Amino acid sequence: MNPYILTILLFAMGLGTTITFASSHWLLAWMGLEINTLAILPLMCQSHHPRAVEATIKYFLTQATAAAMLLFASITNAWITGQWNLEFMSYSLPTTLVTVALALKIGLAPLHAWMPEVLQGLDLTTGLILSTWQKLAPFCLLLQINPSNTSLLLILGLASTLVGGWGGLNQNQLRKILAYSSIAHLGWMILVLQFFPSLTLLTLLMYFVMTFSLFITFKVNNSTTINSLSMSWSKAPIISSMVPFILLSLGGLPPLSGFMPKWLILQELTKQSLAPLATLAALSALLSLYFYLRISYAMTLTMSPNILSNALPWRLPSNQHTLPLAITTSLTICLLPLTPAIITLLTL
Amino acid sequence: MLKILIPSMFMLLTTWTSPFKQLWSTILMYSFLVATLSLTWLAMPTDTGWFYINNYMAYDPLSSPLLVLTCWLLPLMIIASQNHLAVEPENRQRTYISLLISLQIFLILAFSATEMIMFYVMFEATLIPTLIIITRWGNQMERLNAGTYFLFYTLAGSLPLLVALLIYHSSMGSLSYLSLTSLPLTCSNLYANKLWWMACLLAFLVKMPLYGVHLWLPKAHVEAPIAGSMVLAAVLLKLGGYGMMRIMIILDPLTKELSYPFIILALWGVIMTGSICLRQTDLKSLIAYSSVSHMGLVAAGILIQTPWGFTGALILMIAHGLTSSALFCLANTNYERTHSRTIILARGLQMVLPLMATWWFLASLANLALPPLPNLMGEIMIITSLFNWSFYTLILTGLGTLITASYSLYMFLLTQRGPIPHHLILLEPSHTREHLLLALHLLPLLLLIAKPELVWGWTA
Repeated sequence: MNPYILTILLFAMGLGTTITFASSHWLLAWMGLEINTLAILPLMCQSHHPRAVEATIKYFLTQATAAAMLLFASITNAWITGQWNLEFMSYSLPTTLVTVALALKIGLAPLHAWMPEVLQGLDLTTGLILSTWQKLAPFCLLLQINPSNTSLLLILGLASTLVGGWGGLNQNQLRKILAYSSIAHLGWMILVLQFFPSLTLLTLLMYFVMTFSLFITFKVNNSTTINSLSMSWSKAPIISSMVPFILLSLGGLPPLSGFMPKWLILQELTKQSLAPLATLAALSALLSLYFYLRISYAMTLTMSPNILSNALPWRLPSNQHTLPLAITTSLTICLLPLTPAIITLLTL
Repeated sequence: MLKILIPSMFMLLTTWTSPFKQLWSTILMYSFLVATLSLTWLAMPTDTGWFYINNYMAYDPLSSPLLVLTCWLLPLMIIASQNHLAVEPENRQRTYISLLISLQIFLILAFSATEMIMFYVMFEATLIPTLIIITRWGNQMERLNAGTYFLFYTLAGSLPLLVALLIYHSSMGSLSYLSLTSLPLTCSNLYANKLWWMACLLAFLVKMPLYGVHLWLPKAHVEAPIAGSMVLAAVLLKLGGYGMMRIMIILDPLTKELSYPFIILALWGVIMTGSICLRQTDLKSLIAYSSVSHMGLVAAGILIQTPWGFTGALILMIAHGLTSSALFCLANTNYERTHSRTIILARGLQMVLPLMATWWFLASLANLALPPLPNLMGEIMIITSLFNWSFYTLILTGLGTLITASYSLYMFLLTQRGPIPHHLILLEPSHTREHLLLALHLLPLLLLIAKPELVWGWTA
């Protein structure tokens, strides 16, 4: 893409998110979300492949619907209370509508159906932006509203963890797996939103770090299916040897950093006397762990001469800058001992 | 404590910076030094109480035998793995050794943890190197399934444990071992408390394993390479037993009725898995089921909650750790020669490898709990404490002992005695390394006859 156009689009995406961060008026927040959506659309369909264009259209329709619902909810709130301020949503109808609209925006179950197909149509870098940057603005809004209905967020959260686990089990396309992984992690974030919002932020940031490592690893190997990962040990042996740890961290195994959000969320849920919910959510993480384990089997833990599922690719010298990957991989593996410091840093 | 932990951590550095020609000897010597230093943990001037080293790590007569077993096992694993890893590229050998060392570090941290969540995190952390060892270096295609079963059985049991520990923490305020004895959960007879009790124990029962949830063990033990089998049989199963012993303190009034079905299930498992052993064709599978059988007895001993039960359980854990690991090493000597685990393919070995037959004999005798070995001491103490609880358990335990003797003798007679099959024409003579390995397993066991006080915990 023309570098000037790319610059404008990336700046516009940043602008949209920043406007939403800085807003205290619902119209300004909505405007930021819309700018964000519109800016990413050309990035998504830049390859003009029919899959990409279809993904762009689906994304546009869902995000526009969500933004319209958001606008409607804020206007309703303004009608009832006379307030346009973000914090003063005290009636249950606008609050519930805003929550559902934002759930559609980020792809929580049961409003998740667009996620796998949209991510499948994108290339890995744009998919990364979709999974990480695009979640920031809606979460900023979610963190600021007072939830009206306790069970709504819990149902959204639990459904997302279950759908994220079960949906990913039958996939062999990596981008769809990453979509379901995203849904599952968003579920964990929403579970604790009304009790301890700092943990939502912590989970979001940990998820960003872990999924960044995974996306960039797949990009370095230029692979989009599980089968094509099987020769990556010869292309980049050290990255391949670190991938099981990244995947198990995404699955939430101690002593890797991915355990940190899950542990703290379970602690908060048990403090709120929601122990059966905590147990269900923890067990649903096992579903996701299965397909993460399967990827790591294909990539690292089986020796390639036994796998003839992919012909040996060309191994040309690579110019990819892997410093960000190195940093995020180290954070994904080693951050658990710093848990108290991180919670203190993120206490809202 | 740090005198052992920090050198173990730096062993990782040594693995990656040693010159390749001296890698195995360096690591072997280093790990033997650490193991010898760890023997100082067995010297306890008082019989009860903790030996505080710092806020986070401590040891007491319950954990120090297990810690010493862990440290002792690493050089043995190194010796055992030397042969089958010799054909691998350099970096993979270093990776394998690093996995073994990191497993030891996590195990030391687990056994010396003073707080239950720390124990939990390290308990789970041991899963990752073991998973990688089984699925990456196992020899058959079934190893992927074995790794999956291993990981998921253990995690499905331990996630409820995490929630249960967090519930206890939120109502009692602390999970430190030091204060657990004074903070039993006062509970009404709510159904939820029974679920909480189950959640606390399920992880350890799966890890031990208890008979109904034992399916991961034969798979994992059989598919793992020799070092994986050794560490699984010798130490990782004992993590379950150790955890159970620690957490029993807070489960107190509930356990009187709730443990009933699990004791019976454990004893039934002793008989069932013993019977399965009599019909096995795969040598490693036989030893794996024998492990389940012994650990069923350990589980029953712990659940019975008497001093003799706990003592018997601890002694049996240590003795079984050494014996089972020795048996796996013996099975590996067969495997390295014939590349098959089928028992009937390598029979009558006493004619061909008479010195190895001595080790087979000693290990089989240890497995069937011959006096005066500590295996017998553990079993007798557990059987006695069960008999004290109910006379009828003697039927199950007596039958279990009989079946254990049968399959151990069966294994010995089938592999060592009898005619040599005609196809065995090229078997390497026993290496000194193999003799050393088995001597280092069985010598501590024989020495423990003289002073079992070292390993019988704080209750006897």
